Amino acid sequence: MKASAYSNGNPIPARAGIGLRYPHYEAVLERLPEIGWFEVHSENYFGAGGPPHHYLEQVRNRYPLSLHGVGLSLGSMDGINIRHLEQLKRLIVRFDPGLISEHLCWSSVGGRYLNDLLPLPYTEEALAHLVGRIAWVQDYLGRQILIENLSSYLEYAQSTMPEWEFLVEVSRRSGCGILLDVNNIYVSAKNHGFDAYAYIARVPGELVHEIHLAGYSVNRFLSHGNGSGEILIDTHSAPVAEEVWRLYRWTVDCIGRKPTLIEWDSELPPLDVLLNEAYRAERMLEADHVLAA
Amino acid sequence: MSSLRNLQERFAVAMLDPQSAGSELNIRANGWDGGRRLGIYRNHIVNSFTEALRACYPVVDRLVGGGFFNHTARAYLRAYPSRSGDLREYGSAFAQFLEGFAPAKALAYLPDVARLEWARQLVYHASDTKPLELSALAAIAPEHHAQLRFMLNPAAQLLASPYPLLKIWEVNQADFRGDQAVDLGIGRARLLIIRRGLAIEMQALGSGEYVLLNKLAEGKTLAAAYKQAADLEPEFDLAEALKRHVLRQSLIGFYLR
Repeated sequence: MKASAYSNGNPIPARAGIGLRYPHYEAVLERLPEIGWFEVHSENYFGAGGPPHHYLEQVRNRYPLSLHGVGLSLGSMDGINIRHLEQLKRLIVRFDPGLISEHLCWSSVGGRYLNDLLPLPYTEEALAHLVGRIAWVQDYLGRQILIENLSSYLEYAQSTMPEWEFLVEVSRRSGCGILLDVNNIYVSAKNHGFDAYAYIARVPGELVHEIHLAGYSVNRFLSHGNGSGEILIDTHSAPVAEEVWRLYRWTVDCIGRKPTLIEWDSELPPLDVLLNEAYRAERMLEADHVLAA
Repeated sequence: MSSLRNLQERFAVAMLDPQSAGSELNIRANGWDGGRRLGIYRNHIVNSFTEALRACYPVVDRLVGGGFFNHTARAYLRAYPSRSGDLREYGSAFAQFLEGFAPAKALAYLPDVARLEWARQLVYHASDTKPLELSALAAIAPEHHAQLRFMLNPAAQLLASPYPLLKIWEVNQADFRGDQAVDLGIGRARLLIIRRGLAIEMQALGSGEYVLLNKLAEGKTLAAAYKQAADLEPEFDLAEALKRHVLRQSLIGFYLR
């Protein structure tokens, strides 16, 4: 089935949203902030009920919702974990998300999970494997999914194409959308020495359905002789960096207005800090709108 | 063997073995060698498993201290690798692991503390249910009462231990002020851990009441469960206990067969 044939749930507007984490539930429900949409990690709601479902239902009654998964292990050579997929499907039925996303990664082998977003080699073999899996998952769910590019700390010598080409081909061949994480492109570009602007320029705007923004951390290495310096780590524990805002503004000019999410997972600040980051993204989206008009 | 499977297997080995240089993974050096780049992933993976376990077991963490907990978490990861893409399931075997973990042998109550913390996790995420109407129960003819079977609330767990678990849990809460010493001789725990609405409650049960709920949860008839409760506690008041646990939603359904 072509992805375009799938129905979409409650649509996510081309506005800014924030990642909703448990400590902010009560503040959100009390204040009902002016924000376009929320996104949650799917697996945090894989339980049968309890407080997570109670709060998510109330938020969902008032805002569009996007489900972002971290555990489907799409790039793994293991069989698809049907129990995991069933749990995701149950959530989709119950909460009617506007977007459903996963990662360009693998995280399990031989039934053993490393529960991390691990990079794939960008080869024809990995591409064919991932495309088949994504198409299968989309048919199973009856929904298009989005695939997000990772932050990475290594590259495989056997890769035969750059990441942007792999990502675009995955989308073209499987019919999935792209969740373009602008911070991840910045982090990987710094870590591997490629041009983040050139990467984004090669991603066709019509394939991108969502953008992520987050903060990174810098790890400094001291070593004997060769190899001292720094590496950027995608920690989701800080405000969006200024260079990433610049890259984002340019991205919006290139590919147009897309729903844009502020992600913050560790050292979670008060809700207002996230809202202010989202408002900054929204101003950039609006500026683009004015330019376009 | 496919080269992608081969890569994933080698990568996993490199994540679990700190000595592994990962040279066979063919990582582009580009400034740092592959071993250092793999080390970033290895640290992140070990830390996130450790923190996921700590989030589930805050009292065990306090009892053993952060450094010892980190060491224990690494040993647990080797013994019980994650089998799910849902990190919430990762700590399910921690109590069982602690039973055989020699460095923690001196803290004999530690596995039961872990059982209590895991029970709290289970009830937190368990299904939401509707209460059982007393009037529905009243409509059952008295001659059928003995053969009734009851359903325990899915958001309820029963836990018995020779150690005073509730007291150990209470004095190890971050906001507890007072004497942290616990006399392990003060008696065994028979606990009902239950979520009512959004809040998790832990109740100490009498011996008859504990056996009654436990046998009902196993699917025994009311008569059979009562007999075992009364054997242990001759004064056991069945009608009072049953009414209380229906009203307080420990029991949420019944059937005859």
